[in-house]
Amino acid sequence: MSNDGTILAQKIRKSFGPKTVLKDINLEIASGEICCIIGPSGSGKSTVLRCINGLETIDSGVLKVNGEDFGYYETDTAYHAVPPKKLAQQRTRVGMVFQQFNLFPNMTAQENIMSGPVLVKGADKKESAKRAQELLTSVGLAGFGDYYPAQLSGGQQQRVAIARSLAMDPEIMLFDEPTSALDPEKVGEVLMVMQDLAKKGMTMVVVTHEMGFAREVADSLIFMDDGYIVERGDAREVLRNPKEPRTQAFLEMVL
Amino acid sequence: MLKTIPQGSETTMTGTDSALKPRLKRRSTFEYVAWVLCSLIGIGILISVSTNPNFKWGVVASYFTHDTIVRGLMLTIFLTFASMALGTLLGLGLAIMRGSSIKPIAATAGVYITLFRGTPVLVQLIFWFNVSALYPNLTIGIPFTNIGTAVDMNALMAPITAALVGLTLNEAAYMAEIIRGGFSSVGKGQIEAADSLGMSGAMKMRKVIIPQAMPSIIPATGNQVIGMFKGTSLVSVLGVAELLQSAQLIYARTYETIPLLIVAASGTS
Repeated sequence: MSNDGTILAQKIRKSFGPKTVLKDINLEIASGEICCIIGPSGSGKSTVLRCINGLETIDSGVLKVNGEDFGYYETDTAYHAVPPKKLAQQRTRVGMVFQQFNLFPNMTAQENIMSGPVLVKGADKKESAKRAQELLTSVGLAGFGDYYPAQLSGGQQQRVAIARSLAMDPEIMLFDEPTSALDPEKVGEVLMVMQDLAKKGMTMVVVTHEMGFAREVADSLIFMDDGYIVERGDAREVLRNPKEPRTQAFLEMVL
Repeated sequence: MLKTIPQGSETTMTGTDSALKPRLKRRSTFEYVAWVLCSLIGIGILISVSTNPNFKWGVVASYFTHDTIVRGLMLTIFLTFASMALGTLLGLGLAIMRGSSIKPIAATAGVYITLFRGTPVLVQLIFWFNVSALYPNLTIGIPFTNIGTAVDMNALMAPITAALVGLTLNEAAYMAEIIRGGFSSVGKGQIEAADSLGMSGAMKMRKVIIPQAMPSIIPATGNQVIGMFKGTSLVSVLGVAELLQSAQLIYARTYETIPLLIVAASGTS
């Protein structure tokens, strides 16, 4: 059976200096699963996401992405960091969408979307341009290819950023608070694109404060606090009927 | 006091005419005084400079197109742009090394930058001119073997070579810091975005970091070009016939020191 699109984490620990931000993270995400991570700021939810994409390295534990040890290979005695080329290849299979969009301001929307396939995968420029057009259409931005990021609204930029990640044909998409930097009226357009994506069977892990999105789109929900996963379960079930007192307290505050 | 301020209702009652009147900026009396004073000083200097026969403006004018001066100017221009171009390239390499995660590479660049920024460029120029005293022969080949050729350092380090080497190596240290500053102005998110797409280090540098660092690198580099253009006058100590040295050659003969310095100074500006 193919493990494409799966994520497995066991006993992950991660500290920044003296501060331990991930204490004992265990999670299993199936292919095509839409998983939302919620929790107070500083709970480690963004760090989990960044570890899955190799933007942070974990201190200990097992992390398998697409069924493969991520960023490291295992020997009898230790985990060894993989060479940069291998890490880059693993990263191409995991798309990341940032809170601040992080589009390249020196490239147009279309060039941003083409940057991955052309620069990293060495894809044909003409074909990538055509694909970029299709992706722009799929995020509702047909005809915006020649705009620079600075000429686009936040919501438009974020949709281009999603298209840029999708251009790499990843099995997994990670979203790090994708709507937190947006005007309230632009949030909907980004969530709609994400909802579309969910329907297509993409594995998605979404760190978010959008409880509505979690309720309507997510399969599973993780509540994190202080470096631990406090509660995990069916999204609607957890939102309606949280078991842990800490989850109840948090949801009372945000809902 | 309050009564002297016109009431708002009065002006609105006079209708559209008041609304169309231009609004003038306040000019202080001091502004008028400053105009007069500064103009007088400027005119005074102009009269003094143009009527003082010791400036010998005729001589200045006649030397502008003098062969020696033109050749000196050409050499100054050549030295400026050659050492700027080479220095920028070397500086780019140093800036990349300085940001390397490999400690010895970063440290090597750090030591180079400190050394070459920390010592006077005049001393460096004289040093390179006399480097043959330390290494009479420059051997190019594989270390610890007999393979390779030796070059006579004294012949190699002609004044102009020493000038070019000295200026380039010094400029590289400054450019390295300017470029490094530019690199660090690129947001962390940009690098993360490039990383998450799986870009290699070189690709990231070429397509993401350098294009975005340019806006902060270019103005500082402009300063360096101006500095270098004037800085080339230092190589006159090596006997390189750049602009200043050319002027000196002439006034050593004619004793028209000031007029020729004016010629040299106008050449640089």
